[in-house]
Amino acid sequence: MKKRIAKIKIIFVSILALLLIFVTCFAGLFAHNDPYATNALAIRTAPCLQYPFGTDNLGRCVFARVLYGGRTTIAATFLLVFISFVIGTVVGMIAGYFGGLADRLLMRFADITLAFPQMVVAIAVAGILGTGMTGAMISLGITMWVSFARLSRSHTLSLKNEGYIQTAFFAGKSDLYIIMIHIFPNLLAPVFTNALTQIGTTMIGLSGLSFLGLGVIPPKAEWGSMISEARAYIQIAPWAVFYPALATIVTIIVFNYLGDAVMDYREA
Amino acid sequence: MGNKILEIKNLHVAYEEKEVLTGIDLDVIKGEVLCIVGESGSGKSTLIRTVIKDKAVKLIDGSILYFGQEISSFRERDYQKLLGTEIGFIQQNPWGAFNPIRTIEAQFKETARSHGISFDREKLKDIMDTLGLKDTSKILKSCPYELSGGMSQRIAIAASFYLNPKLLFCDEITSALDVSTAISVCEELCRLKNNMMTTIVMVTHNLGMASNLADRIAIMYKGEVVEEGKTEEILRNPQHEYTKRLLRDVPGLKAV
Amino acid sequence: MIKKLIKRIAGLIFILVILSFLVFLLMYLAPGDPAEKRLTSQGVAVTKQVLDAERERLGLLKPFLVRYAEWLFGVVRGDFGVSFKDDMPVAPKLLQGLKNTSILALSSLIISIVISFTLGIVSAEKKNGIADHIIRVFSFVSNSLPNFLIAVLLMYFLCIRLSLFPVIAKGDFQGLFMPVISLAIPMTGRFVRQMRAEFMAQLSEDYVTGMRGRGVKRRFILFNVIRNSLGHIFTIVALQIGTLMGGSVVIESIFRWPGIGKLVMDSITARDYPVIMGFVVIMGTIYVLINQLSDVLCHKLDPRTRL
Repeated sequence: MKKRIAKIKIIFVSILALLLIFVTCFAGLFAHNDPYATNALAIRTAPCLQYPFGTDNLGRCVFARVLYGGRTTIAATFLLVFISFVIGTVVGMIAGYFGGLADRLLMRFADITLAFPQMVVAIAVAGILGTGMTGAMISLGITMWVSFARLSRSHTLSLKNEGYIQTAFFAGKSDLYIIMIHIFPNLLAPVFTNALTQIGTTMIGLSGLSFLGLGVIPPKAEWGSMISEARAYIQIAPWAVFYPALATIVTIIVFNYLGDAVMDYREA
Repeated sequence: MGNKILEIKNLHVAYEEKEVLTGIDLDVIKGEVLCIVGESGSGKSTLIRTVIKDKAVKLIDGSILYFGQEISSFRERDYQKLLGTEIGFIQQNPWGAFNPIRTIEAQFKETARSHGISFDREKLKDIMDTLGLKDTSKILKSCPYELSGGMSQRIAIAASFYLNPKLLFCDEITSALDVSTAISVCEELCRLKNNMMTTIVMVTHNLGMASNLADRIAIMYKGEVVEEGKTEEILRNPQHEYTKRLLRDVPGLKAV
Repeated sequence: MIKKLIKRIAGLIFILVILSFLVFLLMYLAPGDPAEKRLTSQGVAVTKQVLDAERERLGLLKPFLVRYAEWLFGVVRGDFGVSFKDDMPVAPKLLQGLKNTSILALSSLIISIVISFTLGIVSAEKKNGIADHIIRVFSFVSNSLPNFLIAVLLMYFLCIRLSLFPVIAKGDFQGLFMPVISLAIPMTGRFVRQMRAEFMAQLSEDYVTGMRGRGVKRRFILFNVIRNSLGHIFTIVALQIGTLMGGSVVIESIFRWPGIGKLVMDSITARDYPVIMGFVVIMGTIYVLINQLSDVLCHKLDPRTRL
């Protein structure tokens, strides 16, 4: 019963999430204006037919910028989560499977990484590396892979003692074969769930860095930096803040909800 | 019938969204020792939890009458007062009675205050002595997590004896005790029954123990009471297949 | 016990040394030449001689490890070097900023804890009731809101629309209100979630059933539940301090609150490395200390947890 409700929730939210991804990926289909074209005649125009979300300080279409900006935010988030996922899982599986010195060193390293405040490190690293989405992603990724590594390590440890893996080992299968065929598929579910729950947090972190000016380089559209830019003239053109803000909130809520629903499903 | 302390009628109960009890009818007669025997998962612990109105347990249908009064008609607060002094309850988990990280004394005082009675150290000492708990003052100062399972269980029993209920539910209370302690605890229960006229409902999977203690036995199987009757009758002439199987598994009993 | 304590302190120092080394390494590898940046900002014509002299003066020419050791010994003595921007010692700036940040962070932390503690108990006790559902929705939504968004929206509605507050914060209560709220809302959302889970775990413990079965009053049971959750709650709070520190950088920049976060953002723009390094070292130390302390406290409150 619980499981069925959770399943329905997952399907429903997944559709919303895919819709968000689709709309931002094919932003060109929906937005008719160029997100980077300035128009001196139409600065800070209120929402109208031509500009559904109005225009900003430079006369750029906010609607188009929200869509194209979503592409930046969502793509960067997914890429970052994915890279952390890959690095963390590989490290965790190696540490858990082979054990010994490699395990101790890697896990000690992970512990030390966790001992630092993530956002403080991220701000300093992004600040020093200079602006650009890559810098922001690296700065957040430094600490992000650790949760994946720990999770996959603990699952590898318990899987390693399962009978069928022992059998495969004594049948002379190579370590790589065992890891790829027997271990990885079995820890995919919990690690993937962790990845889903990280999406919202990562989005908050990335847009926060962009808001501080440590993310994308203007004029590239990104929600955090759009809000940061437009808040200077929020009194005159509140729409230039509201729509990217709304987009941020909706996207984060959808992905957080998806993470929660999948967790509920796995626990039910 | 005035001698029924508890009447359970057509009880359907769910635990964690699964129907565990599927239509229970059972009476508890004043002054008797009733043993409910069944394997784990047969729903015997859920039955007790229903009587103390545990929140994790959901009543679907049926009724429980305590001295003829429907227990769901009691206000939460009034019923809470009833628990302990009228209806006692000892859990299977020996550490389950007390908060593991606070001293026994503080918790005894809380219990006493909840019932508006004063905490009588001498009375407790007497009870503890009969249960083989020496050095009461040291026990009172310790926290349950520092004590062994057998010790904790005896303290839990002491706590319920202290409140002197009319009806006492015991859920597998001897499982954490060694054999000699278990026997002395059972003897104490019998004495309590004889001296105080306490009615005792004992849940166990051990038919051997039940046959020694009980006036009556109820056999539970898959959420139902499949057989109930006087101890001798059940032992001599079991009706249900499950009871017969139980009897076969206890050597020496069949001859009775 | 003493042996464990020594081991713990050694671990602490080890972590802090690593942190400081990584920070220093990062500065060393960072793009851009602070000497050059400094000279151009002062309007000096940059020739090779002037540049070398400036590098020499800033100590940029010494070998890496020597520079690290010098800096580390300075930091241990409370000397964080001089600012590249105005040649003033960094330590007093950081301290002043830290003081202001503490006011902001502690106020929002206390508000968050008080609110989420209450909501957490209500939510856990009346599980699946109306209040629980409302509280869960609130906690979910506020957990999904980035604090800069809350700040900007609060500013728009409270300052511009309703004119309740001045746009630029002063150091008084009125000025404190909005930054504190912006920090507190997402934090409360996270706390409620975690505390609710903790209270629920405690409520489903056997001892609660045992107490109920003994007829112990509800308020005593609640007291026991709260008493047993305290250890974990300290851990929950300590782990959030890192997020709070990051959040206060954002919030201070928005409201121009003269804290350490605003200082570091200004220094990032100016590539004023000693300030950034000092910021990371101070925040890292505080975070590590608080978490160690919460471990000890957790053990004191619940002796079953291992130290």
